Amino acid sequence: MSERTLMGGNIAIAEGAILAGCGAYFGYPITPQNDLLEHMSVRLPAMGRVFLQTESELAAINMVYGAAATGVRCMTSTSSPGFSLQQEGISYMAGAEVPCVVANIMRAGPGLGNIGGAQGDYMQCTRGGGHGDYYLITLAPASVQEMMDLTMLAFELADKYRNPTLVMADGFLGQSVESIVMREPVKSLPPKDWAIDGARGRDRRLINSFEMNPIDHPKRIRLLLEKYERMRLEEVRYEGMLLDDAEIVIVAYGSAARAAMTAMNRARKNNFKVGLLRPITVFPFPSQVLSDLAEKGSKFIVAEMSSGQMLEDVRISVGNQNEIKLVNTYGGVPLTPDMIFEAIDLMS
Amino acid sequence: MNWEITISGFGGQGVLFIGRLLMEAGFASGQQVSWLPYYSGEKRGGMCSCFVNISEERIGSIFISHPDIAVAMNPAAYAMLEPDVKPDGLLIVNESLVKEKSQRPDLKAVYVPTVELAKEVGDESVANIIALGAVLARAPVVTTSSVIRVLNQMMSKNKPQLELNKAALLKGCELS
Amino acid sequence: MSNRGINDMDNAIFRRPDIMPDRATHFCPGCGHGITQRLIGEVLDDLRLRDKAICVGSIGCTVTSYLYYDVDGTEAPHGRAPAVATAIKRCHPDLHPFAIQGDGDLASIGMAEIVHAAARGENITIIFANNANYGMTGGQLAPTTLVGMYTSSTIAGRKEDRHGFPIRVSEMLATLDGPAYISRVSLHNPANVRKARKAIEIAFRAPLEGLGMGFVEVLSMCPINWKVEPVNAPQWIVDNMIPQYPLGEFKCKPEVEELKKAVRG
Repeated sequence: MSERTLMGGNIAIAEGAILAGCGAYFGYPITPQNDLLEHMSVRLPAMGRVFLQTESELAAINMVYGAAATGVRCMTSTSSPGFSLQQEGISYMAGAEVPCVVANIMRAGPGLGNIGGAQGDYMQCTRGGGHGDYYLITLAPASVQEMMDLTMLAFELADKYRNPTLVMADGFLGQSVESIVMREPVKSLPPKDWAIDGARGRDRRLINSFEMNPIDHPKRIRLLLEKYERMRLEEVRYEGMLLDDAEIVIVAYGSAARAAMTAMNRARKNNFKVGLLRPITVFPFPSQVLSDLAEKGSKFIVAEMSSGQMLEDVRISVGNQNEIKLVNTYGGVPLTPDMIFEAIDLMS
Repeated sequence: MNWEITISGFGGQGVLFIGRLLMEAGFASGQQVSWLPYYSGEKRGGMCSCFVNISEERIGSIFISHPDIAVAMNPAAYAMLEPDVKPDGLLIVNESLVKEKSQRPDLKAVYVPTVELAKEVGDESVANIIALGAVLARAPVVTTSSVIRVLNQMMSKNKPQLELNKAALLKGCELS
Repeated sequence: MSNRGINDMDNAIFRRPDIMPDRATHFCPGCGHGITQRLIGEVLDDLRLRDKAICVGSIGCTVTSYLYYDVDGTEAPHGRAPAVATAIKRCHPDLHPFAIQGDGDLASIGMAEIVHAAARGENITIIFANNANYGMTGGQLAPTTLVGMYTSSTIAGRKEDRHGFPIRVSEMLATLDGPAYISRVSLHNPANVRKARKAIEIAFRAPLEGLGMGFVEVLSMCPINWKVEPVNAPQWIVDNMIPQYPLGEFKCKPEVEELKKAVRG
C-alpha cells in the first residue's frame, strides 16, 4: 500500500507535476497560490529541473510556451487576475498546438476582487478564454488527492492532444490540507517528434500559429476543431453519487461539491432522495449524463461559487422541462452545506 | 464520529497552528482529516479562522458552518461562532479577551483565561495551546498524547519551545 | 528544400548564406530588415549554428523572421520573444535562441521582458531593429519615434508635451549588470553594414560563451513609412536618427573584449 501523507492542495499540484515529469515551472506570485510557486522554487532546482520566478504572468506563460515548444513538460500556476493576463499566451499555444499545464487557483473577481476562493473563472476556463476558436480540457479537482491526480492527468492529456490543459481549483481547495496517497512517478514520457530541439540531422521544424495566406488558416482551425470534438467524445469525467433513485440532483464541482456532499448526506438522513453529479472535467462538460438524468424527471440544484456560470452548461444539457435552481455565493465567500440543504428542503 | 471544529481569532494568535495540531494528531490516529485556513487580506492582525474535520468517513464540506467544537480567541470570533455551534456542542471562550457569557442552555461553554494561564507556564505566546488543552479536556476528539507526539516531531530542534508548549497543553487539559 | 541554386555557381563572388533558403523576403523595397536578416544568416553560417539555433519570431515586420533560416523556429506573442527565448535556453542550455525584435515589439509592449531577460543575464541574442515607427501596422508612433517626426498617429509630428520623448534602449539596458554586450549600429552604408555584421557576431558569441545577453540595436531604413525614396532612406538615418541614437558600444564585458579578437572585419 502506498504511503499516506498530509499535504496542502497547492503543494499537491506541485508534487503531482513533479511526479508527471514536469521539467520546468515559470510563475509569478499571486495569492492564493504562492505556496505552489515557493514549493517549486525549492523542489525543481534540487532535481536539476528548471524553476524561474518571472517578471509577470505574461512572461510566465510565454516562458511556458518556449519551454513546451522544445518538448519539455512544463507548467505555470496563477490565480484569476494573473490567469486573465495569460490568455494571449494560452491562445498562442492552442493555435500552435503546444502542450502545457496551467493551474488556476481561483479567487474572486472581477478586478482585484478578493483573495477568497471563488469559481468565477468558469466561463473563461471552459470557453477557451482568450481570442480565437479554441478549447482547453479543464479539470476541476475537489480534494487534495485530486489536486495531485488531476495534475498528473493534465500533463498526460496535454501531450495526448498537444493542447494546453487547465487545472481549475478554487482558493479554498488550494489552501486546504488533507491526507492523500502518494502516487508513483511517471516512468516514461511520450516522444515529441514535433519539438524544436535543434535541427540536428533532420529538416528544420517550426512551431507557430500564423498563416500568411488567409486560405490556409481555416484548414488549421478545422484540425483543431476535430481535436476538440475528440475531447468531447473521449475525455468526459465525472463522479456520480446516489444518482440511481435521486429525485433531486445537485450539480457542483470543486469545494462547492464538497459542501454539496455534506448537504446530500444530511438530506438523505431526512429521507430526501438527493444525489450529486460532480463534473471532474468542466470542459468537456458531462452533458449526456445530465441529459439522461433529466429524461428520468430529476430536478436539479446547481451549487457554485459564482453568479451562475456553470448553470448555463446545466441548462444547455437539461433543457427547459426540468426545474433547475441555483444556489450560489460570490465575492470570495464559501458555499455552505446549509445553503444547499435549504434549497433541497424548499425543492422537495 | 465526524468532528467538525472551528477556531477563530486575530491573525497571530496561533489559531491556524492549533487547528494544524488537531489535524496532524487526527491523521496520526488513522482518521480522515481536512484543515482549511480562512482569513482576511492582512498578513498580521486581521480576522483569522480555521476549519478542521476529523472523521472516520469521507469528508464532505471543508468549510464548517455548524461546528461540534468552537474556539473563540477574541470578541469578534465569539460573536461569530457562539450562535453557530451545534446543539450540545462545545464552545471554548478565551476569557482573557472575551467578557461575554453565552446564554445558550444547549451549549457547553467553557471560559478559559488563556493569557493568564499561559503566563503561569512561562509565556503568553502559548495561550492558543492552553485553549487546545481545554478542548482536549472536554472532547475526545484526539488524545492528549497524540498531540504531544505531534509537538515532539514539530519542535524536536527547539527543546525549550517544546517544553513550553507541552506545559501549556497539560495546563489547559487540567481545566475541568 | 533546395538551399543552393545560384550559390553553386563556381564563379559566384557573393553568396547567399547557406543557412538561408532560396526564397524572397516579404520586406518592402528599401527596408533594412533584409540586410539584418542576411547579416544574422552569415553569422549562423560562420558559427555553424544550424543544429543549435532557434529563431524566435516576434510581432511586427519581423514576424516571419524564422522563414528565412533553415533552423528550428517558433513565434512569440507581441513583445514576449525574450521570455520565449529565455525558457528555451534554460531548458536546453545547448541550444541558442535568438530573436529579431522591432521597436514597437521590444521597446513598447515588450519592455518588461527585454529588461528582465537582460537583468537576469540570459544567454540569448536579441537583435533590435529600430526604424522609429510601427512598420507593419502602417507607421504609427513608436517609443523610438523622433521628436517632430511624422507618423500615421502623429500627423503633426511627435510633440514632447503630448507624446513624450524617444527611448534610448541600448543606453538604458547598459545600466544593467546582466548583459554581456550592447551596441548600436546602423545600416546606412556598406562600412556601417560591416560594423553591424561584426557586432551581431559578437552578440552571438558572447551568450554562446555563457557571458550573458548579446544585444545589438540596428538603425534600420523604413522608407515607405518615413515617406522618403528608398534611395534617400540611408541619408535619413544619418540626418535624423544618429543624432538621437548615437552609434557605438554601450556595454562590453571584459571577457567579451577577449572574444572580439576572434571576430573578423
